[in-house]
Amino acid sequence: MNKYLITKPVLHASAEPIQCPAGGWRQIAAVLPSNLADLIARVTPRYLNGLEEIRLRRDRPLMLGLGGSDYFLRQDGTPVSEPDGAYLVDAADLEKVLHNISGSSLYALEEELKNGYVTLPGGHRVGLTGKAVLENGRVKTLKYLSGLNIRVCREIKGAANGLIKHLIEHQAQNVYHTVIFSPPRCGKTTLLRDLVRQVSNGLPGMQFAGRTVGVVDERSEIAGCHRGVPQMDVGVRTDVLDGCPKAQGMMMLLRAMSPDVIVTDEIGSMEDIHALEEVFNAGVRVIVTIHASSLRELANRPALKYLLQLNVVERFVLLGRSRGVGTVEKIFSSADLPGLGVKMCLS
Amino acid sequence: MFKLIGGLLVVVASGLAGWQVSRSYAGRPVELRQFISALQLLETEITYAATPLYEALSGVAEQVGVPAASFFRQVAFELGAHRGYSAREAWHGALEVYSRRSALGPGDLSILRGLGNNLGMSDREDQSKHLRLAAEQLKTAMAMAEEAATKNVKLWNYMGLLGGLVIVLALY
Repeated sequence: MNKYLITKPVLHASAEPIQCPAGGWRQIAAVLPSNLADLIARVTPRYLNGLEEIRLRRDRPLMLGLGGSDYFLRQDGTPVSEPDGAYLVDAADLEKVLHNISGSSLYALEEELKNGYVTLPGGHRVGLTGKAVLENGRVKTLKYLSGLNIRVCREIKGAANGLIKHLIEHQAQNVYHTVIFSPPRCGKTTLLRDLVRQVSNGLPGMQFAGRTVGVVDERSEIAGCHRGVPQMDVGVRTDVLDGCPKAQGMMMLLRAMSPDVIVTDEIGSMEDIHALEEVFNAGVRVIVTIHASSLRELANRPALKYLLQLNVVERFVLLGRSRGVGTVEKIFSSADLPGLGVKMCLS
Repeated sequence: MFKLIGGLLVVVASGLAGWQVSRSYAGRPVELRQFISALQLLETEITYAATPLYEALSGVAEQVGVPAASFFRQVAFELGAHRGYSAREAWHGALEVYSRRSALGPGDLSILRGLGNNLGMSDREDQSKHLRLAAEQLKTAMAMAEEAATKNVKLWNYMGLLGGLVIVLALY
């Protein structure tokens, strides 16, 4: 297997530095009650710049994800690895955060409560847990919210620098049909976002003019839309359909926005694959991501097996963490599918 | 001469006092009507468009008449200032200020205060119920206020003037 191409860990060797640590923290501090914001602001900047998430669980210690590890926060702002003596989050803290997130209008977050997350200005996401209220067996809303996870959005421009040249079909001046797959938390979405930006803006250095990109962003992760407006740089020729179910969204973009490339995140259901089929047939290129740790695992899922059988996807990109989050471990061409004899994709 | 001026002053003062009382009777139904239509507008904004309170209240303030508009503008301002106030705190604070210059009675204010406790705290369906309930209660209050106004406005206007004349005559 080691003969497959392995590029550098792109997220860490990115051309431009990580975009928004300080700005990101300011945006998040705006939704925290002042006591919590002051407490977290006391963390030394060296740690704070590596802030990944803030977890607030009612009556339990305040927890920060800093540089890949979990820390509890003491009253004086010292991050410690043991929960003893850590600041305990109370109901009033949670209530204030919810007030700030919703602008005191919980009813405006109905859809978000149903989905279990809210996107903040700046693309940061707040995951919510509590008691689910059901209607006809489906979640109608959440009440007694007791856990919040504020995930800091990190936009990394240049994350796809090492990869993009392998995905461009110069003759057709377009991108290959591409599937990016990896286990969770390997940087799929970050990579996808930068791919979208680069394909949309074009790459003068590679004689690649920008193409119109349509993004179906069901979970508001790619463009981080806040009230429909992308909070992250997704390029000048990109149209984002925010919060829309993938299959429907792809059809809508196809009919309405005449995109050259359609991009979506985490496909998996048969409905998604059928929609993709329509997109393939319309001559529009596709870049999608999938949760899977190997091609074999991917091929074991019926819907994705069907996708492989269509034999349309030209590039499969496997991400991993072997050299840091976002390492491009392997790039397969369609001819490398398991059981079909192995061929080097790129040399 | 001084007597005449003094007498005139007494009549004017008493007339103005009567007019002031009559104005509060006449102003209450007007304000109540404004609040009822404001709550109906707010309900539409919340149920159909799920507009966040800050925007919804600013919109309402533009559409209702003076003086109720000043109350909604104040609540919207407090919410928009991001000073960490909840909707309830902003509503109650603005109501406190508004009540000092308003013709609304304690009963009317308590209906509005009750609404403030629930504003923004639940889903659209529930918000709509609270807003409708408050509007219905205000309508009942308005019917009574109108009745009181027809009875008392003229009464107090005349009583002020005539009372002044009686005092002047008694003093002469």
